[in-house]
Amino acid sequence: MTEARLHYELAGHRLDNGLEVVVAPDPDAPGVAVNIWVEVGSADEHTGKTGFAHLFEHLMFQGSASVASGEHMATVEALGGTVNATTSSDRTNYFETVPRGALDLALWLEADRFSTLAITEENFETQRQVVKEEKRQRYDNQPYGDLLELLTRQHFQPEHPYGHLTIGSMQDLDDASLGDVSSFFDSWYPASNLRLVLSGPVTPDEGIELTERYFGGLPSTIKPRRAAMPAANPADPSVEVVRRQVPHSLTYLSWGAPEAASAQSSALNLALAVLADGNASRLHRALVRNADIANEVHSALLPNRSASSISTILGRPSDGVSIEALNAAILAEVDRFIAEGPTEEEVARAVAQYERDWLWDLATSSGRADAINEAWLVHGDPGWVNTHLADVLAITPDDIRDAAAAWLSPGAAHELHYLAEGTR
Amino acid sequence: MNRPDVSLATPWQFPTPTILRLPNGLSVWHFHLPGQHIATFELVLPAPLSDEPLEREGVATVALHAIDEGTVAHPAGRIGELLEANGATLHGVAKYRHTTFGGQAPSRRLGDVLPLFTEILSQPDYEARDVAHHVEAQEAGFDSTLASPGGANRMALRRALYGLEHRDGRPAAGTPATLHGIGVDDVRAWHARHFSPDGATLLIAGAVDPDVVVERLAAWEADGSPASPADTAPVQPRRVVVVDRPDAVQATVAMGLRTVTRDDPRWPALRVAGHAIAGAFASRLNLELRERLGYTYGIGGGFAPGVSEGQFSVGGSIRTEVAGDAVTRLLDGLALAEPFSDAEVDDARRFLIGVAPLANETSADIVAQASSLAAAGLDPAYLARHFDDLAVVSAADATTAYRSVVSPEQACVAVTGDAAVLVPELEERGLTPEVVDLRA
Repeated sequence: MTEARLHYELAGHRLDNGLEVVVAPDPDAPGVAVNIWVEVGSADEHTGKTGFAHLFEHLMFQGSASVASGEHMATVEALGGTVNATTSSDRTNYFETVPRGALDLALWLEADRFSTLAITEENFETQRQVVKEEKRQRYDNQPYGDLLELLTRQHFQPEHPYGHLTIGSMQDLDDASLGDVSSFFDSWYPASNLRLVLSGPVTPDEGIELTERYFGGLPSTIKPRRAAMPAANPADPSVEVVRRQVPHSLTYLSWGAPEAASAQSSALNLALAVLADGNASRLHRALVRNADIANEVHSALLPNRSASSISTILGRPSDGVSIEALNAAILAEVDRFIAEGPTEEEVARAVAQYERDWLWDLATSSGRADAINEAWLVHGDPGWVNTHLADVLAITPDDIRDAAAAWLSPGAAHELHYLAEGTR
Repeated sequence: MNRPDVSLATPWQFPTPTILRLPNGLSVWHFHLPGQHIATFELVLPAPLSDEPLEREGVATVALHAIDEGTVAHPAGRIGELLEANGATLHGVAKYRHTTFGGQAPSRRLGDVLPLFTEILSQPDYEARDVAHHVEAQEAGFDSTLASPGGANRMALRRALYGLEHRDGRPAAGTPATLHGIGVDDVRAWHARHFSPDGATLLIAGAVDPDVVVERLAAWEADGSPASPADTAPVQPRRVVVVDRPDAVQATVAMGLRTVTRDDPRWPALRVAGHAIAGAFASRLNLELRERLGYTYGIGGGFAPGVSEGQFSVGGSIRTEVAGDAVTRLLDGLALAEPFSDAEVDDARRFLIGVAPLANETSADIVAQASSLAAAGLDPAYLARHFDDLAVVSAADATTAYRSVVSPEQACVAVTGDAAVLVPELEERGLTPEVVDLRA
């Protein structure tokens, strides 16, 4: 039987230069995950210089004192490892999973680029083009490609740190200079702003000793601090209507939600699950199964660390049903939910699904390393991975109703009507 | 500090399953994985899409998606509630040569989940309303696929490779024209014929007692009739097709050929070659088009084995103004003017062998791999032989094998983007593009 309280061993250590490491030993794992979170994301960028945090993700693979451009990724792959990087509003993540015998090399590769990143004008120009192609591929050339941007704008003014997407703007990418890039690196990439998690067949003593060996030489610099974050725009709920060449009209209802670390986040997550996650959810049953109002409904919680998060309910109307009628039907169900709260059975279902998802996130050494880093940055405690499930299992129907009442008030919903051209 | 040495570990083995054959005809491959909190299970049914009635294509997909809406004992969504209450989730895909249907659940709850899974297989309810809903979902999915540059381009390449006259060239989940007429009777008939334990294989991996598996699945009885194996599509002429997307800011490019499967002696060498040319980050094509030229976010591809024939493909999304040049460079790259070097083949071989333990870390990884083998009629011991074969592939082997099955003159090319720009660009390069309508 899975115990609600998990027991992953976690050993922490802080280097003199400020870099912190957590080792999560697992002798049976097939490889060691090396997972570095740099505490900088797109929310730390300035107006006119968006997309930098993510552009960096590319430049970090373009070589350093002892490693040629592209060699880091090619070397890890040729060892039978996996390697990549991701950027969000709140952090940049560099990670690889390697066979145990290649752990030294992986740490050496990481330390080399964090200490001696070398960016040439030629590399920079190529990666600027690659990033622009990434933006085209993921956003500009996709149906619904501007949906996330429109949703974000309903919650944050453009100048707010969370008011732009991680990918940045084409103009800002075009305007970026090599000088901008090196100053971004100097500001945000010192050892004191890095959190390293090692997960897999490595003992705490070995992991800490190797971290000291490879990262101990990085200079000691004061940890950079994120600028004070203004509150999200408390504007009245907005209605945004756009028409695009897309196959289906959609509606997005969205609300401001608590910061990611809030004690109410989990209860709100369960409320959204009971409402619109899966075929047994209330909205699916009421609007899809039992009435011809929607063809599908889903929910999501988009977490932010330092200001309001966003929760959404998406609906695709049935033929002949207006977006207004669909929104009214969704909000009526949300209103009923706030009045009645979920049943015990609904909560048990949502928790069981959550348990599977959470255990699944922890099922690989790389997934576990990432979860530990997230717990560490967002909740200030890597050990949160061990206690989180027990906390979720302890959530009551009243907690969920309270979270819904606080954060999903029908009168506070923003509406985004994303209409297929040619429809009303 | 000097670059550290690497000491690569002991050889890895794909886990060995316990294989059982139940009296109802079902084969079970049971992988006991202590320590896996999440169990994965999947049924491989020998149901080819060529068995669908021509005017009802998509019925296999609709049946699969509507299967867990209700059962005789637990109608109107109740069965789904019970599965969710046990932390289970189900998934399935109707493929050209077979159908997969399975799910995941916490290992500790599998004893409660398998009876529900068996109930769905043996007593599905298929209410008219649910079937209609899933028909609508597939029609919507077809429109979404066409609206997506990648989806439309894959559909165009498939049509070119297999021909619209053959089932393999048409969309797996049907089209609005064929989906429209599907009703409850069609779905029930498909289920009755194809969802049968006889000839099927169940893969199951996790911290699970095999007795639990046998006890639950032995009770599944059904009178399906085995389908005839699908025939192979006739060889098609080489085509260069364009799907028009006026004003698209990128061209989505794919080129491919039909090739061999795992039982061909060249297969290990082809896998190595495919990784070296388009699979790795440092593949020839990615280094050229992404890292050197900045034309694309990435070029990918390689050889996929399939069940009765394989496929080789490469592609990526490229900004419109250099798409013509990119197509030329990709075709030039496919020609392999320079043989593979020892270094390229060493890296590819080491990746393919070395990544296996990471690629098989979870119960879902193991089941996905085993499912693919079972569908192809291979036994689990195949992998050990395959890794032995990979280990001895030389640069000459990879080059010879690759050149024997890939030639740019025979590769079909599909490009989705702004035809007004792309067609003249392709013509200028000696290609003869046809603009195709995927709804036709």
